Amino acid sequence: MVAATSSDTVLPNTGGTVLSVLRKPSVLPGFGLTLGFTLTYLSLIVLLPLAALVLKAAGLGWSGFWDAVLTPRVLAAFKVSFGLSLAAAAVNAVFGFIVAWVLVRYRFPGDRIVDALVDLPFALPTAVAGIALSALYAPNGWIGSLLMEWFGMKVAFTPLGIAIALTFIGLPFVVRTVQPILQDLPPEEEEAAAALGATRWQAFRRVVFPALLPALLTGFALAFARGVGEYGSVIFIAGNIPGLSEILPLLIVIKLEQYDYAGSAAVGVLMLMASFVLLLALNLLQAWMRSRHAR
Amino acid sequence: MAIQVSGITKQFGTFCALDSVDLEVRSGELLALLGPSGSGKTTLLRIMAGLEFADSGSLLLNGEEALSLTPRERQVGFVFQHYALFRHMSVFDNVAFGMKVRPRGQRPTSTEIKRRVMELLELVQLAHFADRYPAQLSGGQRQRVALARALAIEPKVLLLDEPFGALDAKVRKELRRWLRKLHEDIHITSVFVTHDQEEALELADRVVVMSQGRIEQVGSPAEVYDRPASAFVYEFLGQVNRFDCVVADGVARTANGALSIPADGTVRGPAIAYVRPHDLGLSPSAAGPGRVSGIHVVGPDARIEIDLAGLPLEAEMDRERLSALGLRPGDLCAVHIDRARVFPQP
Repeated sequence: MVAATSSDTVLPNTGGTVLSVLRKPSVLPGFGLTLGFTLTYLSLIVLLPLAALVLKAAGLGWSGFWDAVLTPRVLAAFKVSFGLSLAAAAVNAVFGFIVAWVLVRYRFPGDRIVDALVDLPFALPTAVAGIALSALYAPNGWIGSLLMEWFGMKVAFTPLGIAIALTFIGLPFVVRTVQPILQDLPPEEEEAAAALGATRWQAFRRVVFPALLPALLTGFALAFARGVGEYGSVIFIAGNIPGLSEILPLLIVIKLEQYDYAGSAAVGVLMLMASFVLLLALNLLQAWMRSRHAR
Repeated sequence: MAIQVSGITKQFGTFCALDSVDLEVRSGELLALLGPSGSGKTTLLRIMAGLEFADSGSLLLNGEEALSLTPRERQVGFVFQHYALFRHMSVFDNVAFGMKVRPRGQRPTSTEIKRRVMELLELVQLAHFADRYPAQLSGGQRQRVALARALAIEPKVLLLDEPFGALDAKVRKELRRWLRKLHEDIHITSVFVTHDQEEALELADRVVVMSQGRIEQVGSPAEVYDRPASAFVYEFLGQVNRFDCVVADGVARTANGALSIPADGTVRGPAIAYVRPHDLGLSPSAAGPGRVSGIHVVGPDARIEIDLAGLPLEAEMDRERLSALGLRPGDLCAVHIDRARVFPQP
């Protein structure tokens, strides 16, 4: 199929094929070849494993699937995973935005170092991050002991600890998506706003922020998706109390250890569906925002 | 409203963008700041708007010291070369922006804003495009939106930074005429920056020629073109033939003796003579001393390249006159100079 479509791009359009309907005359060559490659690649790398997952879960049957998924323990873990991922992504959206703003707008000694630091959560093994965070926030850790002393607050081994771990690993996504857009924002638009009588705050709120919102939303979506799938850093700090601070990925591993393969596949499918719906909604929202001022 | 610039200096690192500039913009006039890139014209305009800060000097807007005021306090309309429209706002919202960001007490009601925006869009002939986004407009339309947006705050001064710089030749010409007419209708004090001498001469009431952070000459378009104050102005305004010469007894002679030009009395010794191509007369002459080395026809005009004993010259005349003379490439001809300017060698 790949070979056939690639030869199509060379020969004049004879019509009658499905692809010829999709294809418009273009100076960019290789539509057939690249589309074929993309579909094959995505099928092998993404769709096939997911299909296998769904197939495994399907072995339970319709009612069996819901029985496996609608247990109080799974539902509680679902709330923990998705609720805290959303919360962490929201925190990252705010503070990641500020980090990106400072890195783009101001020059200060060591700004390159700060810029490089942002990527560390990408590179660090998540287990290392989880152990470091739990050591810090444990009741006898540096920060944890102070929080305990001053506020009587327990962070590690509670849902709050999970939120902190997810915030840590999600930060680079927001910074790295907002940064290039902010960099390319022409200063003239802000100057125009100032000349038209806007205060700094009005110029930010009405001119700069709306231009960055689609990128911010992308960063939010990526940080959220990463948070939902995160395993390594969370299990060390979460305490993993069923119904309180147990996340879905951990539940899947527990089910696997009990040889409940179909049950763990069912939980996986549930995560997959929920993530897909949320990400699709975010993408649509973004496409709608972009379409309003696309060229 | 009048603008008084005195002793404005601005340094970017070691580069001196403005070197103690003095300038008066009269109330209601349309003034052009003309100069090559790097001459400081845009910096001066941005200092007037409050988008750039002067190192020293003073700026009076209507008699009031304005350097310490923010752009929003100065109430100037500013139009950018690349429009700087707000991409995520419709044309209507772009124009309404200046009114919507006013403090609550001074903000017009929404019906008043709507009326005013539509009035302005009518003025720039874009009333049908109120709901469009900037990306859906052509360059000329975008610049008219930018103009309407600047006028919406009822500015006392309109400042335009290369307003036609990003447009193609035809649109540029149309918009230029249109701006001239608009200025005649509303008579707002306006300053525009350009590097295009034709634009400055056609559009402005007065032209300020700038070079290397200094003002070379201020005058009406006819004044600066006919009586350039310096060699720079002469060279910058229009095509020019330039020769090194020596002036003695009121006559400028080139080194090889091929050309002698009557010079006015003040210049003596080594000098530079300038002759505009259309001030150079030709006649066929078998004895020379010139030779036609090339002819280029540009629309109704012809440009004739002459080789005068090794000195390259360019003459310009209309095509009818050229065909009456019957000159062809390779012919010998005599050269007369109707008008020249001689400046002392710097």
